Amino acid sequence: MTSELSNFAARLREFIHSEGRAPRGPDFQIQNDIGDSCNSSLRDDGRLNPLALELFALQFAHNTAYRKICEARGVSPKTVKHWTRIPAVPTSAFKELDLTCLPPHQRATVFHSSGTTEQRPSRHFHNAESLAVYETSLWSWFRIHLLSDKLKLGLQPSATPVGVQASACGFPGEEHELAILTPPPIRVPHSSLVHMFDVVRRELGAPDSSFMGELTGDGSWAVNFQAAAAALRRACKRQSPLVLLGTAFSFVHLLDSLAEQNVHLQLPARSRVMETGGYKGRSRRLPKAELHALITQHLGVPPSHIVCEYGMSELSSQAYDGAIPSSGFRVPGSGSAFRFPCWARAQIISPETGHEVAERETGLICVFDLANVFSVMAVQTEDLAARRADGFDLIGRAEHVEPRGCSLMVA
Amino acid sequence: MNLPNYFLADLPPEATLTAAMIGEACQTLKRNREQYVAKRSTQSLVNTIAGVAETWLQPEFPIRKLALDNGPRETRFSRATITTGLDNFFKQLTEENLNALLVQELGHPQRLDAMAANSAEQKLNRATMASGPEFLVHIAAGNIPNPALMSIVLGLLVRSAQFVKCASGTSFLSRLFAHSIYEADPKLGACLEIAEWRGGHAVLEGALFAETDCVTATGSDETLAAIRAKLPLKTRFLGYGHRVSFGCVTSGALAGFNAKKVVARAATDIVAWNQLGCLSPHVIYVEHGGGVSAEHFAEMLADELKRREEVEPRGELSTEHAAAIASRRGFYEVRAAHSPDTRMWCSKNSTAWTVVYEADGRFQTSCLNRFVYVKGASDLTNMLHGADSVRGKVSTVGLAAPEDKVEELATQLARWGVTRVCPLGQMQNPPLLWRHDGRPALGDLVTWTDWEQS
Repeated sequence: MTSELSNFAARLREFIHSEGRAPRGPDFQIQNDIGDSCNSSLRDDGRLNPLALELFALQFAHNTAYRKICEARGVSPKTVKHWTRIPAVPTSAFKELDLTCLPPHQRATVFHSSGTTEQRPSRHFHNAESLAVYETSLWSWFRIHLLSDKLKLGLQPSATPVGVQASACGFPGEEHELAILTPPPIRVPHSSLVHMFDVVRRELGAPDSSFMGELTGDGSWAVNFQAAAAALRRACKRQSPLVLLGTAFSFVHLLDSLAEQNVHLQLPARSRVMETGGYKGRSRRLPKAELHALITQHLGVPPSHIVCEYGMSELSSQAYDGAIPSSGFRVPGSGSAFRFPCWARAQIISPETGHEVAERETGLICVFDLANVFSVMAVQTEDLAARRADGFDLIGRAEHVEPRGCSLMVA
Repeated sequence: MNLPNYFLADLPPEATLTAAMIGEACQTLKRNREQYVAKRSTQSLVNTIAGVAETWLQPEFPIRKLALDNGPRETRFSRATITTGLDNFFKQLTEENLNALLVQELGHPQRLDAMAANSAEQKLNRATMASGPEFLVHIAAGNIPNPALMSIVLGLLVRSAQFVKCASGTSFLSRLFAHSIYEADPKLGACLEIAEWRGGHAVLEGALFAETDCVTATGSDETLAAIRAKLPLKTRFLGYGHRVSFGCVTSGALAGFNAKKVVARAATDIVAWNQLGCLSPHVIYVEHGGGVSAEHFAEMLADELKRREEVEPRGELSTEHAAAIASRRGFYEVRAAHSPDTRMWCSKNSTAWTVVYEADGRFQTSCLNRFVYVKGASDLTNMLHGADSVRGKVSTVGLAAPEDKVEELATQLARWGVTRVCPLGQMQNPPLLWRHDGRPALGDLVTWTDWEQS
């Protein structure tokens, strides 16, 4: 059943690899606007559309739960001529239904949505092929936003497929440290975020001990302050740049702990931070600017080297709100707009009318992610954002108490 | 018309309130109360309030016109919704009803004027007098205007100086009501202050709470807990927290041609103040075995809401509230595509109204703004079983049942813990005598002095 999907997945991975190297090659570092380079490919509707329609037809055919939703809307591959008309499924549907093209025996991995208040999580199923697409997608866009300046130091552009010869993508010739503030994947196998961090760790050739989070008795995530502080100090002592990854709430925990001990570090130049995700009741909430100011204050990482990521377990691609300088990537006219790679599109949809909003207006983020090959490409989130060119400014989660009730999984 | 700057809420938006301003306002209010209302007769207060209400019902009353003309912009309710909501409120404020309220609450219409005794008390040789707080603070949640207006009326009756703190952006109708009182009776108006700020402002609220001897508050349970924690022990606190309501349609009410009428009443309750009050229904339960199934009732209700939207539109929503509706619709659309146990009807190209039918009888909290659930149940016991998750939190049940069944059902609901049972169609229109959350309206405000004569 999935040979066509496998074929699509293989082509997409090849495409993503080519995006990473084609127009830039060894001169990658000279190109300083990744956004523009993507404009030459799938940023063009004419090139995206046939791929999106092809994938929609495959998912309509192979994803029973999705097909039912489409049919209820009276939509089928025959009636859809443009990717914007492909029915999006709400993220809440991932909690209710098996939204996958994979038969049960192939669902080797499942990612759950996080959050302590949810009655039941979203479930996004993967097999080896599906994970390979996820990994290719995440690494390509992560590398561009977090590591592209490293290329100046001799880092090879990722010509190798992800997962192969991981060290080829590392920092040859330069000592560096990686610190990840989440628990390791073995403790949280259903976290798509931690899986992503593990892919990054492998690609950078860093050890398993890079994970500095723990799972507590009640299932929540905590930072091992001792391990984290040791990694921070080590990086300072060796003067090797630190790549520090974590959720917003893990940073709040870490910064609170540093503040308690009155610790102010100056991480080596070119250290960088990636923070992601909401707070979900796991720590006190901090406005983004305040969190970043504290990171600068306690870790010595300047705002230019702090990047935010927007992602979710229901997707296979992520958006970033900027990049470490020298990639120079910013959406024109916007200081911190999030942007997906060109194989995914975000549309900001008016909740009132269901149509795309005008520039700068606010609506719900709807993502069309070609890398969601084996599940559903079009995902309607509950996150609000303001439209900024082909990116968006994240505003936050729409107030929404999930309805109670029996799950359709048993129906 | 332009309103004079009598109240803090009249200041231009750029004006910044300070603790000193609040403190000064409190002192002025207390002084004015002592001078102007502390010794005023109940009857003159009743006359003034009823007179103000009467003017509000006159179409040409300038403040009413201002409320209806600017209300949609200031409150996001449509003109028709504001008209209905205000008219229902002011129609209740008659001398007769106010006197009935005094008797219900205090046992005697002159209880606030002097030592008074009803016949039972006379036999026992005793008399009592009730006194209101010197300085009453109302913290108004602001989702709908009526609770704040009612609080002001109650405070006037007990002769308190009053400070109404509105949530930011929600003072408009309270302000206009206060202006109408000021216009009718400047001395009474001078015992009233209206201000708005975002709740939790420690400096302003600290200044306010230091002066008051009684605080009433409506809002979420968290908001109430936060306010209570800031009050001195001696300050009386009357909190009205999160409550939900539902409709209950028995099979007997759906016989013959009644179904359409019952559906229209349910729609009235959903449309009133856009379903935003604690008294508005989240769910309409429909008993099996009537002339109309729950599912068909839902479909009829959708038709009726569509019709109402044309005459009494819901008005614009913030993106956040529209997003809450859109996200919920997405959820139920998916369910409906996979199971006949869920169906959804909703307005096209807008979030104006939504009806979700679910065979599952468990109570669902709605995201409101005219989003309602219809659920089937075998009988009232079965409905209450479904609503078990909100037991103790239910304010009102709107009942549609044959006359010979109503008393039995009302008793069953009372035993289960419901604090108000009313006919469907009247849920968001409580009478003046209504006891908020089952608590005395004036009784909780006053302090008694008992006089045992011999």
